[in-house]
Amino acid sequence: MKAMDPRILTPAMVRIVEATDMTAHERFFRLRLPRPLRHAPGQFVMASIPGIGEAPISICCGPGDHDRLELLVRSAGSLTMAMQQLGAGDQMGIRGPFGTGFDLAEFEGCDVLIVAGGLGLAPLRSLIEPLLAERNRFGRITIISGCRTPADELFRDEMRAWGRAPGTRVIRLVNDTAHLPWDGEVGLVTAPIAGLDIPPATLAVLCGPPVMYKFVIMELAARGLAHDRIFIDLERRMRCGIGKCGHCQINHLTCCQDGPVFRLSAVEALPEALA
Amino acid sequence: MGAYLVERLVFLEWIRTLAGNEQVYFPQPLAESSFHFARVHSSSLLALEDFDDPHRTTIFRASACVPPPARILAPEGEQLFTFRRDGAGDCTLTPVLDSSRRILAGVRPCDLKAIALMDRFQRATIPDPHYLVRREHTLLIGHDCLHPCDRYCFCDAAGSLAWREGADIFLTPQPGARLLVEALTDQGAVLLAGAGFPACGEVEECRARAEARRPDPFGRRFAASLDDVMAAVAKGWDADVWQEQSMRCFSCGTCNLVCPTCSCFDVRDDFSVEDPDSGRRTRHWDGCMLENFAVVAGGHNFRKSPAARQRHRVMRKFVYQPHRFGGTSFCVGCGRCRRQCTVDIDIFEIASELLAAAGEGA
Ligand SMILES: Cc1cc2nc3c(=O)[nH]c(=O)nc-3n(C[C@H](O)[C@H](O)[C@H](O)COP(=O)(O)OP(=O)(O)OC[C@H]3O[C@@H](n4cnc5c(N)ncnc54)[C@H](O)[C@@H]3O)c2cc1C
Ligand code: SF4
Ligand code: SF4
Repeated sequence: MKAMDPRILTPAMVRIVEATDMTAHERFFRLRLPRPLRHAPGQFVMASIPGIGEAPISICCGPGDHDRLELLVRSAGSLTMAMQQLGAGDQMGIRGPFGTGFDLAEFEGCDVLIVAGGLGLAPLRSLIEPLLAERNRFGRITIISGCRTPADELFRDEMRAWGRAPGTRVIRLVNDTAHLPWDGEVGLVTAPIAGLDIPPATLAVLCGPPVMYKFVIMELAARGLAHDRIFIDLERRMRCGIGKCGHCQINHLTCCQDGPVFRLSAVEALPEALA
Repeated sequence: MGAYLVERLVFLEWIRTLAGNEQVYFPQPLAESSFHFARVHSSSLLALEDFDDPHRTTIFRASACVPPPARILAPEGEQLFTFRRDGAGDCTLTPVLDSSRRILAGVRPCDLKAIALMDRFQRATIPDPHYLVRREHTLLIGHDCLHPCDRYCFCDAAGSLAWREGADIFLTPQPGARLLVEALTDQGAVLLAGAGFPACGEVEECRARAEARRPDPFGRRFAASLDDVMAAVAKGWDADVWQEQSMRCFSCGTCNLVCPTCSCFDVRDDFSVEDPDSGRRTRHWDGCMLENFAVVAGGHNFRKSPAARQRHRVMRKFVYQPHRFGGTSFCVGCGRCRRQCTVDIDIFEIASELLAAAGEGA
């Protein structure tokens, strides 16, 4: 148990230093923190506008002793829609970081397979950044990222740059080109997996919409990857981030504290995990 | 630590005097057969059940209080913080922590257990300061039960009847319209020290007298031990009972709202109507039986059917929360959810059916 923090449910107001539209529905924010968050990749913050509301948002920048906080916010409801109006100089309420993250030490020397569906790329970017920053510590890195149409693609320039790093392959997919120019592949994120070399020491990391997990896990299982080598990043409704509001419960676990990053072997027996 | 034998009316007068100077909550009649914990004053009418009343005509069904006293520690609409926006649009946020002193008097064993379980839950991992500060400044005066509330009660079967932990003072009805008044904590002893009550020299005898007064069985009994019930519920994921018992459920969430160990909440932000540059964030009672409880952005509902939600509610009481917070059942057997449900859905029956099914399977 941690010591009681009387401000745990009261956000700190943090300045936005950069805000850009990444797609028609997603806006990217860079904030300057009063002190480093010291987050682990995969953790999230509770982000808010006082008077409007609060929501869990993944930290999408890599960890470290820096004062940067990067978030990618999709317009999905009242708060996230209002956030699309925020710009440089405005403030955002921030609490956290919350939840479990990835332990980079475990990735050392391993091949890494990252599968992102849509907005799932945002939290995984917090892992990709440190993997690429110390490229020699890790084995081959394969990133599969899928979205609906070319207009929905996130972090396009960065993904191209990641693909140029040594021993790193980036496979970009859309479900449908929608008659737009497209230099990646067409299909679902499951499609490329069959053609990959996946040694048993690979670590696979999955984040995407609920329907994605089942199919990607089936593909990986078919390739013989053990379930304790697969991480899944789950989304649930969350109101507090501290394990109290009850909304994010998955059987006896809470997604905000025991997750959002789970080892598949630890949750596959839970009927609600991949429901 | 101090034990006294006091005439009931003298004790109630003392409560009224306390209520003149501090925030005292005491069961107050709400309707014909129902009570709620309400703030009382020096002129309020107070009553407690009588040891000698053979017909239980004046039985004081305090444990049927709706909502339960645990909810006073996490009130509906409580403020988490207030904010003020300056000319530049920047906000200053001030957390709201309620450290005013409260006394909850007349809390029955099932509710004492519920509050003790909420204390554990709220303290665990990342503590909730809003609950804990209020709790820290709250004194509990417990009251023993000599009769089950009604035919729905199963507090003894749920391991609650003997619960004392958390009470600062505990009251046990005695013959001759008297009460055994025991201080169980230092704070309770301090409060009683100035009351001038006559000391009691035969505490054990008084307790035994009350216990002997209780009917046996006390309320409904499971066909096996509580541990067996909990194990049976844990094994019942695929049971038919969820569907059968949920067909008539309205998903109204009443069973959540009246449960002393339900604590789920939603959060809301408001701007002040008078001053649009200020506002507050508040939290509101929510319930896992409500249809949208587990809906995420994009519309996916992780518990779409009433049966899935009923299973979650019951699993949470008998399996999930016990597993995480100390092993004992989070259903304290108060019977409120059954009593208040318009379509008579009964957690005792559900658990009993699962127990029977587990027996057949074994
Ligand atoms: C760990 C985690 C990380 C996340 N990371 C990100 C991220 O990096 N970026 C991002 O953009 N999002 C992220 N999300 C999702 C984000 O939290 C939600 O999009 C956000 O909560 C929406 O809040 P809102 O107030 O804008 O929408 P709300 O007004 O709450 O509505 C959002 C949607 O929820 C549903 N809904 C809400 N309330 C009800 C109701 N009462 N009845 C029926 N349906 C309802 C509807 O489908 C609605 O469209 C993350 C979520 C989690 C759990
Ligand atoms: S069980 Fe009864 S009280 Fe609970 S949601 Fe269903 S109808 Fe409402
Ligand atoms: S589940 Fe029902 S009987 Fe059990 S503690 Fe809650 S309200 Fe009381």
